Amino acid sequence: MRKSLAALAALVLLAAGCAGPADPNGPIVVGSVDSISGPATFPESSQAAKAVFDAANAAGGVHGRRIEYHAVDDKGDPTAAAAAAREIVGGDHAVALVGSSSLIECEINAKYYQQEDILSISGIGVDPFCFTSPNIAPANVGPFHDLTLTLLYGSEVLHLNDICALLEIAGNTLPYYRAAIAEWSTITGRKLKYLDATVPYNGSDYTPYVVRARAAGCKAITVNPVEPDSIGQLKAAQAQGWNDVTWLLLTSVYSEQYAKAIANAGAGVYVPAEFYPFTDAASPRTKKWRDLMTRNHIPLTSFSQGGYLAATYFLQVLAGIKGEITRESVTKALREMRPISDPMAGTPYVFGPGRTHHDNTAGWPIKLLTGTNRWQVAADDWLRIPRRT
Amino acid sequence: MLQGALAGLAAGGLYAVLAVCLTLMSRLVRVVNFAQAATGMFGSYVSVWLAVHIGLPSWLAVAVGVLLGGALSVALGFVVSTWLAEASTGTRSAVTVAALLLLISLSFILFGNKPQPFQPLLAGPAFTAGGVVISQVTVATVGLAVVVAVASWLLLTRTTVGVSLRALSERPTTAELLGIPAKALSAAVWGVTGLLGTVIIEIVAPSQSNDATSLSMLVVPAAAAALLGGFRRLDLAVVGGLLLGVVQGALAQSEQLSIARYFVPFLAIAGLLLWSQRKEVWDAAR
Repeated sequence: MRKSLAALAALVLLAAGCAGPADPNGPIVVGSVDSISGPATFPESSQAAKAVFDAANAAGGVHGRRIEYHAVDDKGDPTAAAAAAREIVGGDHAVALVGSSSLIECEINAKYYQQEDILSISGIGVDPFCFTSPNIAPANVGPFHDLTLTLLYGSEVLHLNDICALLEIAGNTLPYYRAAIAEWSTITGRKLKYLDATVPYNGSDYTPYVVRARAAGCKAITVNPVEPDSIGQLKAAQAQGWNDVTWLLLTSVYSEQYAKAIANAGAGVYVPAEFYPFTDAASPRTKKWRDLMTRNHIPLTSFSQGGYLAATYFLQVLAGIKGEITRESVTKALREMRPISDPMAGTPYVFGPGRTHHDNTAGWPIKLLTGTNRWQVAADDWLRIPRRT
Repeated sequence: MLQGALAGLAAGGLYAVLAVCLTLMSRLVRVVNFAQAATGMFGSYVSVWLAVHIGLPSWLAVAVGVLLGGALSVALGFVVSTWLAEASTGTRSAVTVAALLLLISLSFILFGNKPQPFQPLLAGPAFTAGGVVISQVTVATVGLAVVVAVASWLLLTRTTVGVSLRALSERPTTAELLGIPAKALSAAVWGVTGLLGTVIIEIVAPSQSNDATSLSMLVVPAAAAALLGGFRRLDLAVVGGLLLGVVQGALAQSEQLSIARYFVPFLAIAGLLLWSQRKEVWDAAR
């Protein structure tokens, strides 16, 4: 009697806690790990992905099944990021992660995703692990290729010599930025005038750095800044009366707020936008995304473009799966998918079987000129990193 | 190096003004006000909001922001002097840490965590010295630091108000029994330092990183500067602030030393503490 009771208890426990994925006709669970609160927040990416999935559910779902989307906040905190991944992968039995955007999530969870054999299409990959892991393939270009692109634009399109780099380094990013600069040197045969990788995040006054750059004869400065720091750097140059310096920046400063805060942009701020510029409101390229975001009251930013694209790519792959939709079949389908093109991205997206995923190599040049307070499209085609033969 | 040193003057002036405020607070109302820069940040943020969303002319928005900074400081002072009148300096200062965190969080909630579109009050170069452009902001911050320190010193040493203030800080209860209006005077000290802190942040915020955290944390280098004068001497607080800015500016000019500039305030704090304790015997210093 006792034995059978124990067996029954074990059975109940097994059924309750350790059940496998839900039934094949239930909802398809998709997760994402996002920095929604904390030091730097990117809520729009997962909001945009959710809007895409909601629209798909309203249209009847995928193969008749609803998509249930779980976006978990990692608070920019490593412990919370690890817990969030385990909640989604182990607790909710998600089939994949889509639209994640976080400062630290890739670095913390890359190994875990490998161990669980689950794939993640990040909306916005930030840290180097987002681009160097077999199980993560972001929808965006990423800061490293973006740096190569902005340098290419400065030297090859604007024909600027004497480019200096001021890098704000967090964690282990320096070697990856150095590699991005080395790639530019390989392509163009040029060298930076100098590289200063000691520029502080959230520094109070950037005047000393600006003075040094000016004294060294820099005609252009490339930075990988967060918005407030970049504003500080531009204002420091303005206070010094240095108005003929060109700023070669990254998509991290591409926002309406930044444009409003910058009255004096020196000789111009140039950025290779990682997706087709969202500020070009008339463009048909962004119409579908713009309409969906506006309907759902989601801010129009690069982040919401990334989340939207990640979810759109994922839906297309799901729709092509024959048979059951499980983590195994989704992983297999993503590894074997054919490239998907979207007018908002310069490179067709493919997850593929690679050990790393850093294949998105096109940005669309935009500029912010003194006195305009708005971003303008600066080219009529994508700027691409030339393929090395 | 000289260029870098001059470039660091703007920050130095800012540290000096805040250090003078901290020193005044410590001397007169027995508080190390950790929320000194945070009240300024909050006042400045409200100014930006009034200018951008309500459409007030910028001078009026700034005036309202500065008054609000002063009022916040008075409110904080009211709390401290009402409930912790006889408490130790440490306990009184701890309350201001809570206010610092509260103001940072509140500004995130009200204004988000994106930088604010500050309209500069002063912009552009003032004159050139040693090949370095001295910006108008630098002139303003350094000038303000010196003026405030001198005015405070005159007030404390040459006026009856100053004598009352000093009496109040040495023996609050005795002073009150003698009929010195303790509450009003300490509220005035809180208010004036709050106003000053907001004015200086309104001046510098447009020309540097101006998110809530970096502005509020300006109190750290300011405290390092105030420590040079042991939170007692105004002249040394000014010297400490300017020195700190100049050293940081000079260090940023060289690749090898640049990384050290982060630690300058902390090294200064540690060094000064060790120096000030150098004659203490073991038992007393523990």
